[in-house]
Amino acid sequence: MSSADKTILSVKNVKKHFPIKEGVFQKVVGQVHAVDGVNFDIKEGETVGLVGESGCGKTTIGRCVAGLEALTEGNIYFDLPSDKIALLEDSEKQDDKKVSAEQIEEIGNSYDIGKIEGDLFNHYRRNCQMVFQDSFASLSPRQLVSDIVSRPLRVHNVCPENEVIPRTINLLEQVGLGAQHLYRFPHQFSGGQRQRISIARALALDPKLIVLDEPTSALDVSVQAQILNLLHDLQKKRGLAYLFITHNLSVIRHMADKIVVMYLGKVVEAGNTEDIFANPQHPYTKALLAASPDLQSEVTSGMAALDGAIPDPARPPQGCSFRTRCPVAQPECGWEVDDVVRRLEHKDSIFNFLKEVDQSDAFNAKFTFETEAAANQLMAAMKSDDIPDAMKKMVSKLNCDAEHVTVSFKPAKTVPLIACGNGSSARCVLVNK
Amino acid sequence: MTQDSRTNSIVINGLNDSAFKVRLNRNLEIIQSVLANPTTVIGLVIVILMLMMALLAPVITEPNMPDPYQMPRDWQAARSAPLTPGHVLGTTNRGGDVYYGVVWGARTSLKLSLIVVCLTVVLGVTIGSIAGIVGGKVDEVLMRIVDVFLSIPELIFALAIAAILGPSFTNIILALVVVFWVKYARIMRAQVIRIKQRDYVDAARIMGDSKIQIYLKDILPNSFSPVMVQATLDMGNIVLVGATLSFIGLSEAGIAEWGVLVSEGQAGISAGRWWASTFPGLMVFLWALAFNLVGDGLRDVLDPRTETKR
Ligand SMILES: Nc1ncnc2c1ncn2[C@@H]1O[C@H](COP(=O)(O)OP(=O)(O)O)[C@@H](O)[C@H]1O
Ligand SMILES: [Mg+2]
Repeated sequence: MSSADKTILSVKNVKKHFPIKEGVFQKVVGQVHAVDGVNFDIKEGETVGLVGESGCGKTTIGRCVAGLEALTEGNIYFDLPSDKIALLEDSEKQDDKKVSAEQIEEIGNSYDIGKIEGDLFNHYRRNCQMVFQDSFASLSPRQLVSDIVSRPLRVHNVCPENEVIPRTINLLEQVGLGAQHLYRFPHQFSGGQRQRISIARALALDPKLIVLDEPTSALDVSVQAQILNLLHDLQKKRGLAYLFITHNLSVIRHMADKIVVMYLGKVVEAGNTEDIFANPQHPYTKALLAASPDLQSEVTSGMAALDGAIPDPARPPQGCSFRTRCPVAQPECGWEVDDVVRRLEHKDSIFNFLKEVDQSDAFNAKFTFETEAAANQLMAAMKSDDIPDAMKKMVSKLNCDAEHVTVSFKPAKTVPLIACGNGSSARCVLVNK
Repeated sequence: MTQDSRTNSIVINGLNDSAFKVRLNRNLEIIQSVLANPTTVIGLVIVILMLMMALLAPVITEPNMPDPYQMPRDWQAARSAPLTPGHVLGTTNRGGDVYYGVVWGARTSLKLSLIVVCLTVVLGVTIGSIAGIVGGKVDEVLMRIVDVFLSIPELIFALAIAAILGPSFTNIILALVVVFWVKYARIMRAQVIRIKQRDYVDAARIMGDSKIQIYLKDILPNSFSPVMVQATLDMGNIVLVGATLSFIGLSEAGIAEWGVLVSEGQAGISAGRWWASTFPGLMVFLWALAFNLVGDGLRDVLDPRTETKR
C-alpha cells in the first residue's frame, strides 16, 4: 500500500483567468475566472473525480494539468518526492521561515510542469496524457488509426520502426480493437470505438496519469458502461492514475476514489467518494446529489434541486460564491451590492428608470434613478420578501434621498475550505456549526 | 531472426498494402461524389478538353519556329474566312491563323494560370498561416494589408499594376500574383485559427510533437480544402483577368494569347469578319466557366458548410 500512497500530481492554488476582449482594438475589459485557486493531489493508481455543473472550470483544470494552458497563478508539480512535499507544506505556513525562496525555486525548476524544460518536460509529456470529450474532434479526420495511435511512439522514438506497427496493434488490442482496425479513418467508427482509439493513443507512452475529460458524456448509456469498464480494467492492469472529469454523479461514484466538487472555478468540497456520497457537507453538493434521481439518499431527499442561473464567472460573487443560489444562505456568506441587482433585475418598474450606479466597491453603491417613485420602489423592494432575511441582516446602510438610494453592506471575508473530519473539507460557513 | 518477427513483417507488408487501398478508396469516394453532380461533370469535361488542347498543342498544330508562342503570320491569306484550306477558323487581318491562336492560347493560358496559382497559393498560405499561428500584432498588421488589397476590385487593381510595370507577359504574371494571393491568405488564416483549436491538435501537443510537425501533419492537411477550391476557381479567374489585360494591350502584341487575339480581331468586326475575335473570346469564356463549375462542385463536396459565393 505504501507505494500506492505516493503523490504523483500536486495542484497548488491554481488560477486560470481568460481575458475578455472587446471592440476593434481588442481591449481587455475583464477576466473570466475560469479556475480560481484550486488545490488537490493525485496519488499513484487512484482516480480523482472532478465534478460540477458545466462552465465551472473542470475542462480548464484538465487542460492546465495536461500542460496545455499557462497558469495565471499557482503551480502544478509532477512526481514530487515526499520530502519536497513536506518542504512546500512548511513554506505555506507563513510564520515558518525555515524554507528559503531558493529551495522553493529549485523545486519549481525540477518539478513544476510550467517551468521544467527539455528532458524533464519530455518525461512529464510521456507520463501525462489526456482523453477528450468529443471523440470526433480529438482524432484528425485525415489520419488512419495506424498513424494516430502510433504517433506518440514515433514522436518519442519509443521503439525501432519495425516494432511500431506490432506495438500499435497491441495497443489497439488492449482497448478491445484489433489489427483489422489499423487502416481505417476515424469517421468509419462508432463514437465508443473512437473513444477507444483515443484511449489507445493515450496509453501508447505508458503514462502514469491520464486526464479524462468527460470521456463518456457523448456516448449512449450502454456504450458508456463498456468504456467505463475498460478504463477500470486498464487502471487495475497498469496502475494508472486518472483525473476523471464529469458532471455525472453516478459515473463518478462508480469510478472515483476521491471527489473534488467545483463551483465557479473554486473547490467547494473535497473528500473520499463514500464520505461525500454518504454525508455531503456543502449545500451545493447536496443539491447536486438531489438533482441526480438515481442517487437520492436520506441526507438530500428533503433538499430542493438547484434553480437559478450560475453567476457570470467574469464577476464571481464575493464571500461564498454559491450564496446566490443557496437555499440555506446565512448572513455571513458575504452579501454585496451585486446581489441587489441579481435579486431585483426582473423588476422593470425599478430598473427601467435606473440612470446611474456609483459603486465604490463590492459592498457600497449609490443608485440614481430618473424618478423619485422608482427610488422609493427600490427602498420598498429591499424590505420585501424578494430579499432573503440573511441578506437584510447584512445591510448596514439603506438611505433614500430624493432619486438617490445609498446601499451599504457589512464587508465579509471569503470562505475558506474547512476540514470537517474524516479527511474531507468543504467551503461553507455552516461546516462544523 | 525468429519465426515470429518474420510473420510480423509479412503482416505489416500486407497491412501497408491495405493502408494504400483505404486512402485510394477514400479519394475515389470523394471523386465519386464530385462526379455525382452533372454540372461539375460538364465543367470537368471542358477542363479536360482544354488541358489536352494545351498539352497537345505541338502535335495538333505545327509549332511556329523559333518561338511557338508567337502567332505565325501568313500575309497572303490575311482576312480569310473560316474553313479556308489551311486555316480552319480563318485568319486575322494580319494573317494570324485563328486556329493556331486558339490552340496555343490554351497553352499560354495554362502556363499563366498554373504559374500564378502556384505562386499565389504558396504566398497566401504562408502569410495566412503565419497570421493565424503567430496571432497578435503580426496577425493584425498582415490582415490590415489583406483588407486594403481586398478592398480594391481585382480587375482594376491588376490593371493598375500591369500598367505601372509596363506591357509584357511577365508583368501580367506579376500583376496577377500581387492581386490574387490575398484571398488565400485570408482563407488560410481563418482555417488555421479554426483548426488549431481542435482537440486533435491539443492531443498532438500533449504527446509532445513539435510545432512544425503539428503544422505539417495536423493543421495544414486539415486546412487545405478551401484553398484547393479557391485555386480551382482562380485557374479560371486568372485567365479571364489576364485576357482582359492583354486585350487592353498590356501584354505583348503578336503572342498566341486569347486576349491579344480578341483585340487583334476587333478591328474586323465592323467589316463582318467576326471569327478572329469570336473564337478566342469563346475560349476565354469556356475556360473560366469550366473551372468555375469544377470549383463549385469541389466546394460542395470538400467544404459543404460554406455557402456558394455571393
Ligand atoms: N479559451 C477560453 N477563453 C475564454 N474563456 C474560456 C476559455 N476556456 C474556458 N473559458 C470559460 O471558462 C469557464 C470554464 O469553462 P470550462 O473549463 O470549459 O468549464 P467546464 O468544463 O466545467 O464546463 C467558462 O465560463 C468558459 O466560458
Ligand atoms: Mg468541460
